[in-house]
Order: sequence, then C-alpha cells, then structure tokens
Amino acid sequence: MSLRLKLLLLGLATLVLPWDGIRYAREMEAALRQSEQHELQAVSETMAASLQGRMDLLYRNPGDPAPADTGPDDLTPLVLTAPPYIDGYPDDWPRDASAWRYYGAGAHRFGILTGVDDRMLYVLLEVHDPHLVFDAAGASPLDSSALGDRVWIGYEDPQGVQEQVFLALTGPGPIIARRIETGEYGEETTVEDPRIIGALQPNHAGYDVEVAMPLSMVGRQFGVLLDDRDRRGADPVSYGTLRSSDLHTLGRLIVAAPLLTPYLAQFMQPGMRLSVTTPGGGSVLAQADELAVPGVLAPEPGILTQVYRRFVDRRGEPRFLTSAAPIYDGHHAVIGELQVTQAANRWEGLRDRALTRMLDVTLITSAIAVIVTFIFAAHLAVRLSRLRRASESALTREGLVTQFPETAAPDELGDVARSFSRLMGRLNEYTGYLRSLAGKLAHEIRTPLTIVRSSLENLESEEVSPAARQYLERARQGSERLNAILVAMGAATRVEEAIGNADRLRFDLTPVIASAVSAYRVAFPERRFAAELAPEPIEIEGAPDLIVQLLDKLIDNAVDFSPAGATITVRLLREPAAAVLEVDNPGPPLAPEARGRLFESLWQSRSGSDSRPHFGLGLYIVRLIAEYHRGGVAAADLPGGNGARFGVRLPLADAPLLPNYNDKVKLESV
Amino acid sequence: MKRLIAIVEDEPAIRDNYAAAFTREGYLVRTYGNRAQAMAAFAARLPDLAVIDISLEDEPEGGFELCRQLRALSAELPIIFLTARDSELDAVSGLRLGADDFLTKDLSLAHLIARVNALFRRLDALRKAPDDQEQKVHRGPLTLDAERMRAEWNGKMVLLSLTEFWIVHALARHPGHVKNRQQLMDAANVVLDDNTITSHVKRIRRKFQSIDQAFDALQTVYGMGYRWVE
Repeated sequence: MSLRLKLLLLGLATLVLPWDGIRYAREMEAALRQSEQHELQAVSETMAASLQGRMDLLYRNPGDPAPADTGPDDLTPLVLTAPPYIDGYPDDWPRDASAWRYYGAGAHRFGILTGVDDRMLYVLLEVHDPHLVFDAAGASPLDSSALGDRVWIGYEDPQGVQEQVFLALTGPGPIIARRIETGEYGEETTVEDPRIIGALQPNHAGYDVEVAMPLSMVGRQFGVLLDDRDRRGADPVSYGTLRSSDLHTLGRLIVAAPLLTPYLAQFMQPGMRLSVTTPGGGSVLAQADELAVPGVLAPEPGILTQVYRRFVDRRGEPRFLTSAAPIYDGHHAVIGELQVTQAANRWEGLRDRALTRMLDVTLITSAIAVIVTFIFAAHLAVRLSRLRRASESALTREGLVTQFPETAAPDELGDVARSFSRLMGRLNEYTGYLRSLAGKLAHEIRTPLTIVRSSLENLESEEVSPAARQYLERARQGSERLNAILVAMGAATRVEEAIGNADRLRFDLTPVIASAVSAYRVAFPERRFAAELAPEPIEIEGAPDLIVQLLDKLIDNAVDFSPAGATITVRLLREPAAAVLEVDNPGPPLAPEARGRLFESLWQSRSGSDSRPHFGLGLYIVRLIAEYHRGGVAAADLPGGNGARFGVRLPLADAPLLPNYNDKVKLESV
Repeated sequence: MKRLIAIVEDEPAIRDNYAAAFTREGYLVRTYGNRAQAMAAFAARLPDLAVIDISLEDEPEGGFELCRQLRALSAELPIIFLTARDSELDAVSGLRLGADDFLTKDLSLAHLIARVNALFRRLDALRKAPDDQEQKVHRGPLTLDAERMRAEWNGKMVLLSLTEFWIVHALARHPGHVKNRQQLMDAANVVLDDNTITSHVKRIRRKFQSIDQAFDALQTVYGMGYRWVE
C-alpha cells in the first residue's frame, strides 16, 4: 500500500464526524419527541381543565344526565366535515365503522349512522332486507292494505313534546316525510313535513335510506323504528329505538353544544387536531382538525435534507403524537374527554435545520481533511520519490553528486536528505580518490623508476662481467614493463586531460570508422574484422581523435575476449537522432557480476594473467569519451550467450540535446 | 673547448645519473638542486645548454620560472624541459616560455644525449653559412633544413620545436605515406604516448595555419597515423 493510499485512509477516518453527528441528531430527536409528548400532555390537561364543569359548552342539552350512562338506544352523531348529499347513496359518508349502531336480528336488521353538520342532523340507514316492499302506487299512506316497508322517526321537540314522522317507501329516489294529524272528529290525515327530506336506493342486500332534518327540531330524545313487511299489507316486524307500541322515544340524541367547535378552534395550531369525545373516548362530539396543514416548523424541502433524513429517520416511528385528558364536572364525574393529536413531524423542520447545518459543517470538515491529507500525502510522495531518484542516480552515476534535493527542508525528510547528501559526498570523495589514485600513483612511481632506468643505462656503459650483463638485461626488461604499467595507469587521467583540451568539430563518422577498421586488420592479423557501415553520412559533433580512441578501447576489449581467428563485427547505424556504434565479438558472455559496472573506473572482470597490464580503465575511457559527445554506453550478451556486444550511442550533430542522455541508452535486444 | 651543460633537477640520483651520462659523452656538466642555486651560477656564467626539471623542490612550477629568467639572460640558449609530468598543459606552457624541447623522464639516456647533440648541431648550423643542399627537403611550399632544423612555408619561417621538426621531417620526406605514431616517435627520438603525439601534431598544424590559413598538408588517417599531402 502506497503512502498516498495510507494517508488517504487516515483522512477518511474523519468521516466518523458526520456519523457521530447523525447519532447525535437521532438522540436529540428522541429527546425532543419525549419532551413534546410531555408538553402535549400538559396542553391537553390544561385545555381539559378549561372545560371543567362546562356541561353547557360540551352538550347541546345541558340537562343531560351524566353522559357516562349512555344507553344502547342513545345516538351520538358524527361530526361531519361536509354535508352528505341526500340521494340514497351512502358513498359520501365517512367510513367510521365504530360509529355504526345496529338494531334487529337475523334477516331483519339495520345499521344506523348519524351525523351533524352546520345545525342539520343526518341519518343513514343501511337496511338488511331481502324483501323490499314499496307502498302501493297512488294509495293513501294510511291505507293499511297498501302499506309496504316504512321508516318511523320519533323525537322529543325542544318543548318536550313527543313527535313522530314516517317516511313511506314509495320507490327509489326521494321519499317524503309525513306526520299523522288527528282532526277534530278523530279522523286521521297525513301532512307533509317539508323540513325533513329523505331518499332511498336499493342495494344488493336490501336498501339504504338517507334522511336530513334541522337539528333545531329535535330536543333531548331521538329514535328510529323500521316497520319491515314481507309483503304489502302484512303485519310488520318492527325494531329500532322507538317503543313499537306507541312510538315513544327510548334513547337520547347526544350532540355537542354548537359553541364547542368554535371554542376548540381558538386553541388550534397547524398540524394539530383537538377533539372532545364522550367519556372513554366513545364518540367524537366535536373536533377541530388541522393535522394536514403544515406547521411553521414543517420539514424543509431540499435534496441534501432528504438525503440526511434518510440516514437519521428510523422506521416504525409513529407519525402522530396523541394525548388525552378527562374532562370533569364539578364533582369529579367524567363528562367527556379531550384528545390532542399532533403531527410528529411538526418539529422536524427544527431538527432538519440543525441537522443540515451540523452535517454540512462536519462533511465539509471531513472533505477538507481528506483533501488536505491527500495533497500532503501526494506532496510527501513526490518528495520521497525525488529523494529516491536522486539517491539511485547518485549511486549509478559516478561522482559529481553536487545537488541533492530536499536538503533545505527543515523537517525529518530534510534530515534524511542531508544525511544522504553527506553520505554521497563522502562516497564521492572516496570515488574521486580512487579514480585519481592510478594517475597519482603513476606520477609518484615515475621518479624512482627514472632513477632505476638511468642507473641501468649508465651501468651499461661500464665494464661488467658477462654474467652481470645478463642480470642487467633482466633488470632493464623489468623496468620497461614497469614503465608500460605506469603508462596504462595514467591512461584515464590523460584521456580526461585530452577531453578537457579537445576542440569540437562537425565531422562524418563513417570514413573515420572505416579507416580505423582497416587499421585494425593490420594491427590484429589473428582476428577478422567485418564492418557493417551505414551508406549515408553520419555527422556528429565532437573530436574524431577521441572517437578513434573510443573504438580502440572497444576493439582492445573485443580482441581480448575473443579466440584467435574469430570475426569481430563493427557496426555503424544511423537512427533518427543518434549514431549507434556497436562492436560484437564471439566469446564468453558478460560476467553476471559485471553487469552495470563494466563502464566504471578500475573495474575489470578479466581473470588469468596477460602480458599486458590492465586496470579496468579501457571501458571507463569509452564512457568518458561517449559522455563528452553527450552519448551513452551499454553492453549486452549476443543471442545464445556466445559473445558480447558493446555499443555507444551518440547524438547526431543536428539532434536536439537530450538531458541525461546516458539514461536513454539501451542496446536493441539482440 | 668542452660545452657546458647545466642540469637543474631536485632529485639527486637522477641528477647524478644524467651528469654521469653527459660527462661520458664529453660534455662539461654543472648540476643544481634548486632555482636559487641555478640562477646564482647562471648570473656568473651562462651554460651552453640547460636541462631543467619543471618541479623544483618546493616550487611545483619552478622550472617554468627558471626558464623565463634564463631566457631573459639569453635569447638563444637551448633549453630542454624534463619532467615526470607529461600532461599537455605543462608542454604548452614550457614551449610558450621559449623552451626548445620538452621531454619526459621516460626517455632513455641515449635518446636524451641524441637530442642534446641535435640541438648543438642546429646551433652550429645556424652559425655557419647556409649552402648544403643535401640536407634540405623541398615539398611544394615547404622547405626543411635538417642541418639547421629550420622549417619554412612559402618562404616564411615556422618556429618548430625539435620534436615537431622531426615529426614534420619524417612525414614530408615521403609525401602520401602514412606514418604511424611509433614511426613518428622513432623519427623524433622520443618516447611519447598517443595523446602527446596527437597534441604535437595539432600544435604543428596551428603553427603552419598561423602563417597560411589554408594549410591542410598534415592529414590524420584515423586508426593508422598521419601523412603529408602535397
């Protein structure tokens, strides 16, 4: 794993900040929800207290006995939000199963749903009756032989007088409410009551009846009775909330006081529902509902917020908070119950705002931390790789390590660079000492050698015995050899001096190499030389003398490592930007330990003795001359490992200068 | 009268060996170990020839200084530099100071004596009337006088050192023939390495070119040697 990646992971660790933020937001929300629940309880209790003893405000008929005793015949109308259309179809009634009351049994039964809206009382009867029997058409509603099914409505008027009306079922559609009036002489007549309207529609199991009447007609009591006949004129089966003998009402109509709804409305807030119910929460008397209205602190729109919420919200949390408080009369008797419902997301806006701000800050912090860490890591990696490159090139290139990067940096990396630099400096001094050693040694030995040689020469002029002359001759030969060694040792130094004094001129490489090769044929008769020279002129800039010296050294090397009679190939190629000079010789492959060191000073892989002195300077001189020409050197085995190839690449006179040309040199794979 | 040779050399063994060799040849020899001794003696009596080592005791280039002072005393006195150092820089400085030749200590005593003899011959020839045509070589604009060791190009004198003269002489005697470095060294009676020969050739070219810009008679045959082209 690279340093860059490691530090990037380190930077990613700061992502724990937003994660922690989300956890914090959740806890905050739970606490908020709890406190909201407490607050809601307090609100509901306060409002319940404000209604304490206000029977008049709760119930339309304040004289009602304790509402806790609601009997089976008492009806508690729903608080309707919109008046149903009186057409016999029940589809515009609220779907509230708990508000239904059922009377009758078996095949003869009906369900009743009552509701109030704006001072009107609405009744829905859902009659289960396999035999719907209409009155005979055109017959008097009092003609007992023509009677079909009939709905009776009985009520106590505000003055406490019992009243009854009936709705004769004459067919689908509107049905008329009538009351029976007894005349002066006991004759009965029917009178239409236009205040009451009704409608009927058959359905698959029976029929539905809708009735609407002004609430002001009704006093304390109210009831419905159904006369169910299986055929026209038969004796009816009667059931409902009226006494079947005299149609006297059995149950009460429990309705909220008209002022209760406005009273509740004054406490309303968006996202809230207030309802007052009969004790035990049985039926809703009045309610003010603004649950669907978004509050001022409603959830904020916005993509980022939604994304955050996705992380924060937990599934299964209730969407509403509900709290209930009993309403007492003056004597600790419960007369009703107040329910407060509040949308759970009322404060989500508040949470979202805090959460968004916090998460924004932490995410930005994390992002900055990651970016800064990454940049730092990249910078560090660049510095390290610069240092690595410098140390590598310092090791491969001999000497001249003057500038080491990063040494001015005040940090630990700078310390490393400085100690590297010092190390390289010492290595450099040491290498320089080694390189100059041969030259210095040659110079120092020359004086005593001159003493020996001049003494020997003087001795030759003296009278010596033949035996002594023999020793004299050996001493002379020894001193000659010593002299040859000195010349070889000083060779690199002299080449360096020659390079320093050489004049650059532009010349064609081909004839220079060609004439040199023909000279080698004479100089080394026991080897054959093949010249593969490019036909076109190859112009480089430099010193032809030095190039010939370079080739001399390569040929020396090739001759030394090839058997007698072998063919040495000299090849000169032209590349787009460089001239390539190669010398192939059959013989042993390059020694593995020699690779990369062949062109260093004082390195040699020759084994065994040789008449000529070798100091590993030949290929070093090749490199010196190649570098003087801004070129590079390389060595490789010939295919099959039965020989070696040494090559020099020199930029053409017109080629752009390449920095560090040495690095670019590679022999074509052979 | 015996000729007087002064040897200025700080190494006593070499000094005495050289002195013995010259004495055997019939020369009168005076030896000095440093510049002060030598100058004191030269002020009293000038030698006929001086052989000077470049580094003298604690003066690394004391020989050059001595050469300058000696040249101030006499413009014609032949001076030969001898040194263990054979770098080209030393040679150029020595010759610019007016040395007649520049030899390394690799040179054998026999060769050294031959060179000294040759210098005296040139001196004698300069003092004699010029008439011996046998010793002269004419190659186009080039005229070489082996007796006086004089070279002329288009009638103008080219100031060559002894070594340079023998190199030109060896090449010009057989125009078109390639002489390798060994042959040139034999001709000049010197033992020099390749680089020194190369720099001698370069200097010869420069000296001719200072007289004639178009000089191109001394050609390099790479890998083999040099030849004179008419």
